[in-house]
Amino acid sequence: MQLKLTKQQQLKKWLLIGVTLAILCVLPFMLSKAYFVHVAIMCLFWAYMSASWNILCGFAGTLSLGHGIYVAAGAYVATILLNTFGVTPWLGLFVSCVVASIMAIIIGFPIFNLRGAYYTLSTVAIGEGIVVLLTNFREWKISDDLIIKIGGAEGLTMKTVNSPLFMQWRGKIPYYFMILVMLIAVILISGYIKRNKLGFQLAAVKDDEDAARALGIDVRAVKLKAAVISAIFTALGGVFYALIIRFLEPAAVASGATMSNQIVFGAIVGGSGTVMGPALGGLVLNLISSIIQYFLGGSVQGLHLFIYGVIIVVMIIFKPSGFITVLEKLYYKYLGVEISEALEDTESEGESDGK
Amino acid sequence: MSLMPSIINGASMGAIYGLIAMGLTLIFGTMRVTNFAHGAMLMLAMISAYSIWAVTGINPYLLIIIIGPLMFVLGYCTQMFLIRPVLRAESDKNDPIGVLLLTAGFSIVLENLALMIFGADYRMAQTSFSNTVFTFGNSSLSAPRLFGLIITLGVSALLWVFLQRTEPGRQLRATGQDRNTAALMGINSEQTFAVAFGISCALLAVAGLVLLPFYYVSPSVGGVFQTRAFIVVVLGGLGSVPGALVGGIIIGLIETIAAQFMTASVTSVLIYLVFLIVLFVKPSGLFGTKLD
Repeated sequence: MQLKLTKQQQLKKWLLIGVTLAILCVLPFMLSKAYFVHVAIMCLFWAYMSASWNILCGFAGTLSLGHGIYVAAGAYVATILLNTFGVTPWLGLFVSCVVASIMAIIIGFPIFNLRGAYYTLSTVAIGEGIVVLLTNFREWKISDDLIIKIGGAEGLTMKTVNSPLFMQWRGKIPYYFMILVMLIAVILISGYIKRNKLGFQLAAVKDDEDAARALGIDVRAVKLKAAVISAIFTALGGVFYALIIRFLEPAAVASGATMSNQIVFGAIVGGSGTVMGPALGGLVLNLISSIIQYFLGGSVQGLHLFIYGVIIVVMIIFKPSGFITVLEKLYYKYLGVEISEALEDTESEGESDGK
Repeated sequence: MSLMPSIINGASMGAIYGLIAMGLTLIFGTMRVTNFAHGAMLMLAMISAYSIWAVTGINPYLLIIIIGPLMFVLGYCTQMFLIRPVLRAESDKNDPIGVLLLTAGFSIVLENLALMIFGADYRMAQTSFSNTVFTFGNSSLSAPRLFGLIITLGVSALLWVFLQRTEPGRQLRATGQDRNTAALMGINSEQTFAVAFGISCALLAVAGLVLLPFYYVSPSVGGVFQTRAFIVVVLGGLGSVPGALVGGIIIGLIETIAAQFMTASVTSVLIYLVFLIVLFVKPSGLFGTKLD
């Protein structure tokens, strides 16, 4: 996206962004049922999660299947702080971020030595280990009058306060705008990272770790930086999840099948490693699965997930780099940029700054 | 209290983990692909065997004549039609992420297909020997577990002979060591991959049939075994077939012996912990060669 655009093309670009934003802002007021607003919120939520995952895994080319643990960190910390200590999530989210970053550093320090399948399998093991722990700890007794409820297998319900001071709004629409702002923020920051030193370092690591090390990049430090940023955003997503669902179940929040893998599928279907791809992928994948669920949900058990799986398999076979490549071509056509010229431009730029 | 019963039980269950892990490690060893659909394929073998058993009532072990070749064909076709195109597109990358996610997506497809046809119920094949128990000294082992242990060890030995002594086995190992050099020696690597996948699924058929008389069947049964198999494979060394069997027995033993002293859930945390320690201390595992 680092093209030198003419004035007219700039105008066209901002027109596209403006129209998209306008549609997104008007959308919740056009939807007739509260359920549809909820679906829209969840679509944006998964877009946000995939984009957060992408900051580490897309840019650095590692495959983490354990990002659910950061979701759990955000969701559980915020909920426990509210339930037990009465701390508003406005403050709780900072604590969530701190906890998630500490987790990212502790886990990342040994784990970034591992490569490929070893790395992925260890993220799976850590994720499933945390699910087992959360499932089995019902409460943590610090003293007689201070008992922290963690919920265990029964799950943990967030206390309802219904006050903006506690981030609990009336109706669904404020949540919609909350996640919309979060999504825009994560996309802007992804774009910023991608265009700056950290992004180039990550790209070098993704391309060839040994070569990157030979060029003087501290691979582990670079990955840790990205991991912390990614973990913070994912944890914020977890706080949002706790606020919108208000009920945390270890398996639903942290396990591979329901959380981590879905985040990754969205990012891959959209196009991991790009700025917009994961967000679009997460959004579209969730939208499709919601539509299928809405129309076929009750009829046959498992049918909507079956179709969901087929879509993922077909997408990976036919568009392994994500559908963003198709959209990118359309975007360039809309701007009136020659495609070959555009590709050359980004490539040369990447080389000159990467070194 | 004697630990002997739990050691025998742990070894028999561990041998089955080992058998499942062998398929996984065979695929990884030859193709460098981690198959996240492994558990779903085991589930498929178990469910189809259960369905045939429920209708005909023949001894589940005899069903290998039907399920074994069927699973081989399934594995062969999975490689040929699903994995090959993605593997080709990603041949220039170090870590084939797309293939991994493809298999994860495929497992969702298989599990929900089974859910649609079979329903979510837990079922168990009550065979004539399911409740027979053999006693050795002061410890005992149920018949299905004993037969399972014998069959598993036998099949492992067969696989070992196949890999070491036959021409297709040598081709598999050669492709695993260096696929380009193997290709220069006239080995069709894609054909070899498909055979590896087929054998891996046939091993799952054996494991599924061995589990059938004493383990419940449901569309979600694969998940437990898949996670165990991943751990076993890393413990034994990714790509090492004997390592898978030894690793499987170790995990089986840890599971049953630890269960004597702590609750089952803490045991599974312990297994994850062992796994992570092995990964960080010796990523190549007990028997593995350093890959990357």
